[in-house]
Amino acid sequence: MVSAPTPDATPLALSLRDISKRFGATQALDRSTLNVRRGTLHALLGENGAGKTTLMRLAFGMAKPDTGTIQVDGQLCVWRSSADALRAGVGMVHQHFLLVPAMTVAENISLGRGGMFSGFDPRAAAERVAALVAETGLAIDPTARAGELPVGAQQRLEILKALSHDARVLILDEPTAVLSPQETQDLYAWLRRFVESGRTVVLITHKVREALQIADDITVLRRGRTVLQVPAKDASEIEVLAALLGEATTLTAPHVRTPAHLSAVPVLTVDDVRVRDSRGTDRLKGVKVRVFGGEILGVAGVEGAGQLELLRVMAGRCAPYAGSATRPAQIGFVPEDRHRDAVIGAWTLVENFALKDAGTASGTLAWRGYAARAEAGVRTQDVRTNSVHNSMASLSGGNQQKFVLARELEGAPAALIVENPTRGLDVRAASQVLDALRAARDAGVAVVIHSSDLDELFSVSDRMVVCFAGTVRDVAVDRHAVGRAMVGLT
Amino acid sequence: MTDAIAPFFEATVRTATPLAFAALGELVAERAGVINIGLEGTIIAGAFGGLVAAGAAGVGVGFLGAVVAGMFVAAIFAFFVVTLRADHIITGTAISMLGVGATGTLYRIFFGTTGAALETPTLAPLPIPLLHSIPWIGEALFGQPPITYLLYVIVPCLAWWLRRTGAGLALRAVGERPEAASAAGISPARVRWAALLFCGAMGGLGGGTLVLAQVGTFNEGISAGRGFIAIAIVVLGRWSAVGVSGAALLFGAASALQYFAQAMGWGIPYQFALALPYVLTLIALAGAGERAAAPAALGARG
Repeated sequence: MVSAPTPDATPLALSLRDISKRFGATQALDRSTLNVRRGTLHALLGENGAGKTTLMRLAFGMAKPDTGTIQVDGQLCVWRSSADALRAGVGMVHQHFLLVPAMTVAENISLGRGGMFSGFDPRAAAERVAALVAETGLAIDPTARAGELPVGAQQRLEILKALSHDARVLILDEPTAVLSPQETQDLYAWLRRFVESGRTVVLITHKVREALQIADDITVLRRGRTVLQVPAKDASEIEVLAALLGEATTLTAPHVRTPAHLSAVPVLTVDDVRVRDSRGTDRLKGVKVRVFGGEILGVAGVEGAGQLELLRVMAGRCAPYAGSATRPAQIGFVPEDRHRDAVIGAWTLVENFALKDAGTASGTLAWRGYAARAEAGVRTQDVRTNSVHNSMASLSGGNQQKFVLARELEGAPAALIVENPTRGLDVRAASQVLDALRAARDAGVAVVIHSSDLDELFSVSDRMVVCFAGTVRDVAVDRHAVGRAMVGLT
Repeated sequence: MTDAIAPFFEATVRTATPLAFAALGELVAERAGVINIGLEGTIIAGAFGGLVAAGAAGVGVGFLGAVVAGMFVAAIFAFFVVTLRADHIITGTAISMLGVGATGTLYRIFFGTTGAALETPTLAPLPIPLLHSIPWIGEALFGQPPITYLLYVIVPCLAWWLRRTGAGLALRAVGERPEAASAAGISPARVRWAALLFCGAMGGLGGGTLVLAQVGTFNEGISAGRGFIAIAIVVLGRWSAVGVSGAALLFGAASALQYFAQAMGWGIPYQFALALPYVLTLIALAGAGERAAAPAALGARG
């Protein structure tokens, strides 16, 4: 499946050859190769754990390869730290932003320059940032605090940080995971202009369709090896998916929608609900939603349109100041930030399972019972672990998410509220999670799901609503209609 | 009343001086994300080092000895906390106990078991012409030993350095988000080592001031909780150099109140006045609940 690198006149901006890297017992990279032509947008694809991020961390000097060579513009490079890579013109935007939240944009960008007593002048720094903004077209307020910026602006700040070091090769790790569809389009348009100015972009992603649409070249990693290097125009989605998953796959087969057996009365009702945030702004302005058992309601909306507040009201995690919400007694909730809100990494699976009742259980906890319940959950959702007494952190992201689903679906809840259920998961795990949601729906559960990935919403939703500026509207399950509603058009 | 006010201010500044040195050192450590509970050990090591060095070669060398002793203790702390990534609180507590215990033992070995008061040369006050004759506050601010004037230089320099230099920015970034600093090519471990050595030097100077400019002798446990008070001062001073000097003055005033109360003939038992700084410490630490100004990565290992 490995095609020979195409003989091409374009010089290589970044070339990684025969790179191997081992962490303990795990061979993260095994003689992998990446050749990035100057002035191109290169997509590096792979499932979680395929070694994409590791390979790019090596290219950015955050670790040293065990074997193999790194060349930038044909020059052999040995990095001692990221500072060396930055000096050589390689910049990286990490998936989890590396910003100092308490500092201003200008301070974040100025970090790491100058010696012990070299001056730092906030005004001059702000002016430099303003010049950079004007030059790059990435709008940001130099005096704003990084922690108070919306996530899209934080990403622009990360890009500006790299560009302030005159990065000629820009590496972005899953940059669209946190962006709304509009922001994603804007970012891609900007990256396109950036490569047209002669510079180079490496985009780490697991979204095959997006990669094929915007990239010039594609490299696929599987289990630390380079399994496909091909110009995007010569690659088909099926071919790339096959390389990614390493097997003939049926994942792209359309899901057959079973006829819905809806409950007679709504399971969940939200009536004229209003929610206000800590700054006193109304996030929900009197919304009405009903959800029936046996359907999946997809909730779409650009970031901050009120969808998260709506889901939290439904899940009973957020109290409205006006209006009412009728909820069933048993309700499952899968929050979007798994690590922060759903599980405790250092605890065992059994302990994490018991978290479910931590607020309500009285007396001593029946640990044996919880172990059995956790075992049952692990079996039904096919969570890959050899013991329920392992720590949560020892599971991969996909298995953690399946475990959370198992916990929330236990005891036959009447409703299940799910935020971004497949964020950060690889293709296989994502498809298993979506299948579990469909199975719950078929069993009569009222499922409400929000996802910033519209493709995902279209693939699972029986019915959709769109949030826009704190209002909610019923919309047909149709790409065009939903897209218009998300920007406030009727 | 007026007769008592000038001495009250003088006592305020005098007691605030060692506290301010130690607290400014702690401020730098905390802005780099390390909470140095071992400050108490650093101060008493500085006091003892100052005593030994001054006895051998005079007051000037004494202060140098205080700085070296303070840095030595801080280096032990830094080795465990930064290099070995041990827990800040447990290591710091151990270092505090070690400092108090070791200096006591060394004192007995060197100067006998009687614990007899040992005289040491002290730094005489150096009144600044004209300025020291300003009514009420002149004596307090400008009739002090020269070491106090060093503080007047350090505070603005430190405030400027933290805000207006690349290195100050790097230090604050390490305290807020070491990963981000690291990605910008800064070594958080190196920054924290440097910050702790500075903290050791300042804590040592605080202890040295106590012995060489004020008490004129050493006794076991002479630091008397000043390390912990200095940590509270950093909290009360909201992690800024100017705020910390203000808070140090407040604690100095609380201590000086006992003399004032006696001079005024108030019938308050002096024990209340003695307890006041410690009560203030408790209040300051309790008020740290909403620590908006605290460095985000304070106390985080690694």
